[in-house]
Amino acid sequence: MTIRKYIALVRAGIMESLHFRLGTAVTLFANLIYLVLVYFLWKAVYASSGTDVVNGMTFTDTMIYLILATALFNFLEMFVVWDMSRSIQSGAIILDLLKPMKYRSYTFWKYSGSHVSQFILAFVPTFIVVMIVTKGAIPIGLNLVKFMVSVVLAQIVNFGIEMLVATLCLYTESTWGINIVKETIVLVLSGASIPLAFFPESIRNIISWMPFRAIYDIPLQVLLNKGGSDTLAGLAKLWGMQLGWCVILTVAGVIFWKISVRKITVNGG
Amino acid sequence: MAQEAIVMENLCKDFKVLNRREGLKGSIQDLFSRDYKTVSAVKDVSVTINKGEIVGYLGPNGAGKSTTIKMMTGVLEPTSGKILVNGLVPYKDRTRNCENIGVVFGQRSQLWWALPLVESFKLLRDLYMVPQKEYDEMIELYRSLVDIEPILHKTVRQMSLGQRTLSDILAAFLHNPGIVFLDEPTIGLDVSMKSKIRDLILGLNKEKNTTVILTTHDMGDVDALCKRIVIIDKGSKIYDNDIEHLKTYFGSYRTLRVRLDNNDTWEETLIDEKTTDVMTVITEYQKSHKVKDIQLQEISTEEVIKKLYEGGSV
Amino acid sequence: MSKKRGLKFYLSIYRKILIQDLKSKMSYRADFVISTIGMIMTNLAGFITFIVLFHNFPTINGWDLNHMLFLYGFSLLALTPVQCFFDNNWNLRTHVYSGDFIKYCFRPVNIFFYFMSEVFDVKGLGQLAFGLGTLIYAWAKIGIPVTFLTVGQALVFTFTASLFMIAIMNVAAATCFWIQGSGYVMVIMFRFKDFARYPASIFNSVFKAIFTFIIPIAFVAYYPSLVFLQPDNVPVLTWLSPLIGLVFFFLSYAFWMLGVRKYDFTGS
Repeated sequence: MTIRKYIALVRAGIMESLHFRLGTAVTLFANLIYLVLVYFLWKAVYASSGTDVVNGMTFTDTMIYLILATALFNFLEMFVVWDMSRSIQSGAIILDLLKPMKYRSYTFWKYSGSHVSQFILAFVPTFIVVMIVTKGAIPIGLNLVKFMVSVVLAQIVNFGIEMLVATLCLYTESTWGINIVKETIVLVLSGASIPLAFFPESIRNIISWMPFRAIYDIPLQVLLNKGGSDTLAGLAKLWGMQLGWCVILTVAGVIFWKISVRKITVNGG
Repeated sequence: MAQEAIVMENLCKDFKVLNRREGLKGSIQDLFSRDYKTVSAVKDVSVTINKGEIVGYLGPNGAGKSTTIKMMTGVLEPTSGKILVNGLVPYKDRTRNCENIGVVFGQRSQLWWALPLVESFKLLRDLYMVPQKEYDEMIELYRSLVDIEPILHKTVRQMSLGQRTLSDILAAFLHNPGIVFLDEPTIGLDVSMKSKIRDLILGLNKEKNTTVILTTHDMGDVDALCKRIVIIDKGSKIYDNDIEHLKTYFGSYRTLRVRLDNNDTWEETLIDEKTTDVMTVITEYQKSHKVKDIQLQEISTEEVIKKLYEGGSV
Repeated sequence: MSKKRGLKFYLSIYRKILIQDLKSKMSYRADFVISTIGMIMTNLAGFITFIVLFHNFPTINGWDLNHMLFLYGFSLLALTPVQCFFDNNWNLRTHVYSGDFIKYCFRPVNIFFYFMSEVFDVKGLGQLAFGLGTLIYAWAKIGIPVTFLTVGQALVFTFTASLFMIAIMNVAAATCFWIQGSGYVMVIMFRFKDFARYPASIFNSVFKAIFTFIIPIAFVAYYPSLVFLQPDNVPVLTWLSPLIGLVFFFLSYAFWMLGVRKYDFTGS
């Protein structure tokens, strides 16, 4: 990649974000500060530990993992729960209830569109910066393609969880409550706030049976050629896990939605 | 105390709208120096409204009605001109001004969503520091004017749109304000609810001598409630007088209604008798159709207003 | 015939709104249960992150587990008021964009007060309990004496420390008066609070200054805690923190109100 292409990319990105809304610029800035916080915390943590490698992760590994997890988090961020609760409170949900499947797929594709642009605008620049700064710590090769596949699967898993939680809005108005629970659980158990490698063995085993690591941990492992993703069998296992959760969450989501809708309409709420 | 509830003199309100520049350079320039263009929402409006009047404040969408109301309620500061509401300058004295006004905004309830109406009333009583005796009298008055029992213990969330509007109007009058602003109070309501609400407004106006400023697109509201109307268009006042007075300007206008062939529907034509002869129009119809029935009506308020919006000046 | 509305009036109104609000919340039992579960999970998750970190690293910057727990508990306490009383900031954006915000301008009371009074978040009480428990545990483990002075200091300093996060969230929420798509600013700012539980000494001088004076998360727990954790060596900033807290709160309030004045209410 020549420097001119790089500049053109940045130029386009900046123009887009400035043009669309000042909010994006503020977001970028706020993210940067957040990453600074993460950086200093882990620097202090590693400085106090006295060793360079903890649980197989060096300071650089941890930073790459956390920064990219944050970047992934930004672009996978969805507001389905909020949208749903607003549509319930305004009464617009009645229209959606009549065609539940349409609502689901409509929401999915709407977000997919913004995910593509977010991926290019937010994740790719972050990735490039991290790649340049860490000078070769991220392997470049087939893993990038595998990572893309993993990200698509992660997006579907994330959407599945979102829809499942959003359905809860039919029962309660504590939108903030359920949203924050979802967010905290996803952040902690998916590895976005602390790399899963740092968890004690026993807890890690339990977490590996949950869907959350399919969102951040697996794509990042694949990207960094870790967790066995460099072998065909290992990769198959990771992808299989993601795919399995895609199916389970989608089916569960559709069923839960249907049951809930029936219950609500019977009660006349 | 003066007789005027509201005095506006040469009132103007401009908004600044950002001109966006093109290209990356332009985007960055926008961040630092902003190039605004000025849009006048209200231009040189002078109106005086007396205590106890019900005034229809009309105009097409985007004419500047809401902006004027926002200035009268103290939410917006005028760019220039004078405004006095109950003798106060609203934007300088927002809190005190609010004590003596009530506001209803169409479909946006201002009540506590999850509370039974009676609890909302009690909270409002405390917010406005209404003495218990006056509060009780007001509730009694409400009882005499409208059947409030079915809604008193319902939460706003559970109410129908009509009940919600009713509640909001009652809440706006609760602290016995000198002026009540009603923005589209009957929008989306059925015929019987509309007339119920009109009766309520008339009743409260009569009992408490409350000044009512009404903005609406429903000429039924205007006919039922207002003696006087003020019309603004593109920010400027174009009419301020009685409805009857307005109609005389268009006195030469008649609405011709005809039923043709075997149709059940009436076809309407507005005719200015000064320029066109009614008979000529009927003859014209007869050339191509069989005229079954004919009616000739005076111009309705609705049509007068429509003519005004379309550019007919008074 | 203007009526005077002083502190007493506002307190009594808030109490009445709060009682009504709680009553109506009680009638939605499912909602209450979910909120409670949510609160427990959120605190548990935060706690797990914390413990997992210490599982790998016994000290951070010379701070051992008990000292860190003290900071953690203190930060939870100081973050309770923003959670309980200022939660409606999260809805500000929606109200502003839809034009509904105007309804808060028609009452003869302070707009900021009236807006915030609408929501009281019960979940914050769980956080209070969690924080109190952690703080008392750490307090006992470290062996800080229990005297009128220390308890009094704890009360004053937690109260004033709470002003900093309130100020941050007020400013973050008020950005919606100027910029579209400001929702993420709040989300990020709210995530910053998780870093209030780490000692500010981990930062280099530039960022220490930033997190002290610009995004003042260092005041949420670190500076006030030094009164108890390093009683022999309390920095001046710690003693000044109550005053600085008031200044920050006032500035954020002024910024919020400036937004209200500036906002042109064209949404309707």
